[in-house]
Amino acid sequence: MIVEISHFLTILATGLFLLSGLFATFINNTEYISNLIARTYSHAFFFLIASFGLYVWLAATDNFSVLYIASHSNTNLPIFYKISSIWSAHEGSMFLWIVFLAIWGFIFNFKISQSNPLKSLTLGILSLVIVGFLLFLLLTSNPFQTILPIPPINGADINPVLQDPALVIHPPTLYLGYVGFSIPFACAIAFLIKGNSDIEWELMVQKWSIMAWIFLTIGITLGSWWAYYELGWGGYWFWDPVENVALMPWLAATAFIHSLSVSIKSKKLRVWTILLSILVFSLSLFGAFIVRSGIIDSVHSFANDPERGLYLLGFISLIIITSLILFVLRFSKIQSIERIKRFSKESFVSINNIFFGVLIFSVMLGVTYPLIYEYLFNQKISVGAPFYTAIFSPIVLLACIFLIFSVDSKWSRRLKSNLLDLPVVVSTTSSAIITLLFLYFFDINDLYMNLLIFVGFLIILRYMFEIYKLIKFRKYINPFSAIAHMALGLLLISISLNSSLSTERAMSLKIDETVKYKDLSINFQNINLSNGSNYDAIKADLLIQTTDGKSVKLSPEKRRYFTRGQITTETAIHASPIRDIYITIGDQLDDGSWVVNIQLNYLIRWIWFSAILMSFAGILLVITHKKSTFTFKKSIS
Amino acid sequence: MKLLLKLLILTVPISFLLMFFVLLTEDKSYPGADYDTYNFPKFELETLAGEKIFNSRIEGNDLLLNVWASWCITCRVEHPYLMKLKRQGIPILGLNYKDEREDAIEWLNKYGNPYEDNIYDYKGSLALDLGVTGAPETFLIINGQVVVHYQGEVNEMVWNEVFVPAIEGEGLF
Repeated sequence: MIVEISHFLTILATGLFLLSGLFATFINNTEYISNLIARTYSHAFFFLIASFGLYVWLAATDNFSVLYIASHSNTNLPIFYKISSIWSAHEGSMFLWIVFLAIWGFIFNFKISQSNPLKSLTLGILSLVIVGFLLFLLLTSNPFQTILPIPPINGADINPVLQDPALVIHPPTLYLGYVGFSIPFACAIAFLIKGNSDIEWELMVQKWSIMAWIFLTIGITLGSWWAYYELGWGGYWFWDPVENVALMPWLAATAFIHSLSVSIKSKKLRVWTILLSILVFSLSLFGAFIVRSGIIDSVHSFANDPERGLYLLGFISLIIITSLILFVLRFSKIQSIERIKRFSKESFVSINNIFFGVLIFSVMLGVTYPLIYEYLFNQKISVGAPFYTAIFSPIVLLACIFLIFSVDSKWSRRLKSNLLDLPVVVSTTSSAIITLLFLYFFDINDLYMNLLIFVGFLIILRYMFEIYKLIKFRKYINPFSAIAHMALGLLLISISLNSSLSTERAMSLKIDETVKYKDLSINFQNINLSNGSNYDAIKADLLIQTTDGKSVKLSPEKRRYFTRGQITTETAIHASPIRDIYITIGDQLDDGSWVVNIQLNYLIRWIWFSAILMSFAGILLVITHKKSTFTFKKSIS
Repeated sequence: MKLLLKLLILTVPISFLLMFFVLLTEDKSYPGADYDTYNFPKFELETLAGEKIFNSRIEGNDLLLNVWASWCITCRVEHPYLMKLKRQGIPILGLNYKDEREDAIEWLNKYGNPYEDNIYDYKGSLALDLGVTGAPETFLIINGQVVVHYQGEVNEMVWNEVFVPAIEGEGLF
């Protein structure tokens, strides 16, 4: 009964969102119409939220008459996994996706004043996007389907690798990021439809865009961390197709928020900003398409159904093509008359926009090339790390060099060449010395890695000087943007050192056997069986001693889950700021020994720390953001 | 220049979208079929009957290798079709996968034995080398080389669409 109410509320919400979207097509925006849109949206939103709330309740109370819940949950699960099972597969996670989309719109509706000339139209566009996805949900992936008349006594269980706290929050965070960019997108489209270049839509969406960027950054970081300790992948990034479809919107979003701040400060790069806002949202939708159409095999892909893929592709194409045609038509209106001065801050940002564009395009090629190849030659190939490293290393390096130049540059003015300025000299020489020391002590033989370490330190030191100037001489600089860029420097250094220093080895060990690996001596003490609430496990005990006498005990496990018979690897990690000792256990060999895989991952914690630091800087940026005083002159409308 | 830029902005995404349309509507009725050719991996195991069996059983031969287990429901569904293939005179070698010997023998006695021999792979080591992800899976081996690897149930339709073209090319059986 409750599931039918929930289903009905969603249908009702779909109708109301459609109405709200249709009202927005009355362009002559009277106060009456815009109030109508705002209210219709709110009502639709409340119906949708109520529907989702009921659905959560159904999942929490083990209502297995709902097919989706019966297939993905189980009475043995703790309550929060029962709830998170909603987003462990396609239908439920799509539902959550739409709810988040609607939430962003609701907050937008609540925060932005009714007198804002873009508000109604933006809300209308958002409503239409929501309708498109709700129809997708209801028509092709209905989570409300029931098993009647006799529901099963117990559910089929959530996939065990998904029974993890990080996974309870990883998808929602990522979704919040993806759909968050619907706000700048809808605003940009509203702006293009209005075609009045005096409206400052950029200022209006800055805060929203940074927030969405924060969610996306945290979401990707969580995913990376989860793959490391839960999936036993043993690294932080694998260029898996689905990681890549999350990376593309992130790159686009990063370019977008930079371009956005240029457009706000100097009214330039508006064409770029609009194009990027369309690109970010398109890539987010594209990500949803890739994951949900089953076109790519990946750990993330949901069970596929060609109908779903076609619907999504059609809907996304509609959105992308309409927005691009609109963009091309309004191109001349939004183009700024003033040319960008050479060596001004704007010029550096626009150059980096191009670099970001190249990176996105390469990732896109990397994702699609295997598909094209398989289509043409009927052979599976995969594009892996070497391809991406070859492209990312030089381009990131170049982009960082322009970033360093931009530190000294001014808005709308040429950069004066002050190469002998004290901060420049000090930071360059000390970065060079540090890099050479690293090269000497750690014997890093890859040129790009050395250069990236150099650039990483240069960025950090350069911004340290800026922060010093801010404190000492009150020279204006945004301290949070400085922190975010220093985090980028840290990220480059940690990635370079991690890839240069980390090692791994697989060895076969018998009980009581001791082997040496690098500075470690590893003693295989024991292996035993243990039982969890819904799995059996084999647990190995290894005692690891370093040469300076410290010892740690690590116990990697292999688990077999009852309900699905799936076998998972539980890694054992000894974490420290310098390096992680990362151990997984494999199969038993015929001679009774066990395969033990050991990895030494250097500075891997710093990679996630840098990403978190970036997001943290973003959060501070949002908190301290000036109230986006909307400066639209009434006289113009 | 500006026109070119506008055209580019429109055509690049549209061509990507079109490409995805083509990829998505491509006929993927047999996603389990893989046509890579490679040598059969080395192995040294026992048969279900307890005799030693090595690569020599495969080398230079043309046959079907069917991965099955008594616990596998789909194998039971597939079984009558394998019996039919046997009657057509197609040599089938079984790879009994992660199964108890007694259960497997009982299963064969109960339902009939379509296999010439059965490799008993209790630990799944040969299956691992072959890239088996579950039962049933079927390999077409021509002259000791794997030519087709099919994941899932083999039935009349799969046989005609996936295996027959590869066999006809060689003029076998």
